[in-house]
Amino acid sequence: MSETAKEGRYIYSIVSSGLESDLGDVGIEESRVRLVSCGDIAAVVHSCPAEPYVTKDDERAKEWVLEHSYVIDLATERFGTVLPFSFDVIFIGDDESVRGWLEENYDLLKGELERVKDRAEYSVQIFCDEGKLNEKIVAADPELQRLRAGIGDMPKGTAYLYQKKLDQKIKEGLLEETARLAKELGAKIDELADEVKIEKKVSWVPDKYKDKMMVAAFSCLVRHDDVEALGDLLEEIDKEEESSIRFSGPWAPFSFVQLKGTGR
Amino acid sequence: MKKRIMALEVDENNLKQGLLGLVVALVEIIQDLVERQAIRRIEGGRLDDDEIERLGKALIDLDEAIEKIKRDNDLEDVVESVIGSLDDVADDLLNKFFNPESWAEEVEKI
Repeated sequence: MSETAKEGRYIYSIVSSGLESDLGDVGIEESRVRLVSCGDIAAVVHSCPAEPYVTKDDERAKEWVLEHSYVIDLATERFGTVLPFSFDVIFIGDDESVRGWLEENYDLLKGELERVKDRAEYSVQIFCDEGKLNEKIVAADPELQRLRAGIGDMPKGTAYLYQKKLDQKIKEGLLEETARLAKELGAKIDELADEVKIEKKVSWVPDKYKDKMMVAAFSCLVRHDDVEALGDLLEEIDKEEESSIRFSGPWAPFSFVQLKGTGR
Repeated sequence: MKKRIMALEVDENNLKQGLLGLVVALVEIIQDLVERQAIRRIEGGRLDDDEIERLGKALIDLDEAIEKIKRDNDLEDVVESVIGSLDDVADDLLNKFFNPESWAEEVEKI
């Protein structure tokens, strides 16, 4: 085996464009980013050795990911909604190999581009103030009020057990209430978005929400024309006392485009 | 070559924390189950006032002992993370059990 790595193409996204244009030295480590086209679709790439970008330096890795996102945003600005690739996807081969892959998967890619056209991904998260919600649950249930009022006069061991019982009941109420809120919000968003996905995990939230409980998180594919209405709806919900909404975007439709299993 | 495979770096302190954290997390889960069982028995009227008080005190002692072990060994974060991951695993399993469609989707993706 030879010591030198094979030729490769780092791929940022697939766009609707038939032109082989050059986007300039805007890629990872100032790589020159260009379009390799096939008919009316193109891959946004830069030339590199067919080896993954790996580093132990966190700062450098962060920069690479930011540069990757920057190219996706730039391509979105130029060509409309793109099919984004995640960081560090590299084709083995030259422009012709990329073109061959585009040709082979043309129908799929074209279909996906049509599906996301004039749309963008938005992220919606609903947070609740747990303390306020707990109070609301107790206020609505006379049995819980009686239980809470009685604990103060009990002997130590008994009080401990009844406090546990109260905590459990409140927790059950909290689960019911948050499930109801999540369902209600999901249904409302569903009316305005093309597609909605429930996100099980959210890796990062701003400090502002750190002490709050996340009730639900959604990724939504929304038509540009419907974004304002969605924003208005969420603003209304945000005004309600115990809940606050985090609404962010537009993003490239990472959650709605699956380019797995297409034979890279 | 063999030597290289064996050269697994183990930080003794990390190992102790991880192992002790896991044990304490399991004890906390058992504690929670015992407390739930105790409450169920109280609700079922199977315990008199004296028994409730004694059971409650025993559970306070257990709780204090666990908290002390956690404080003394700086285990709060480890235990929280173990219980958090176990919660996720349980959620996932229950989800597969109750929503077989989502499971099928996952299998298809692979």
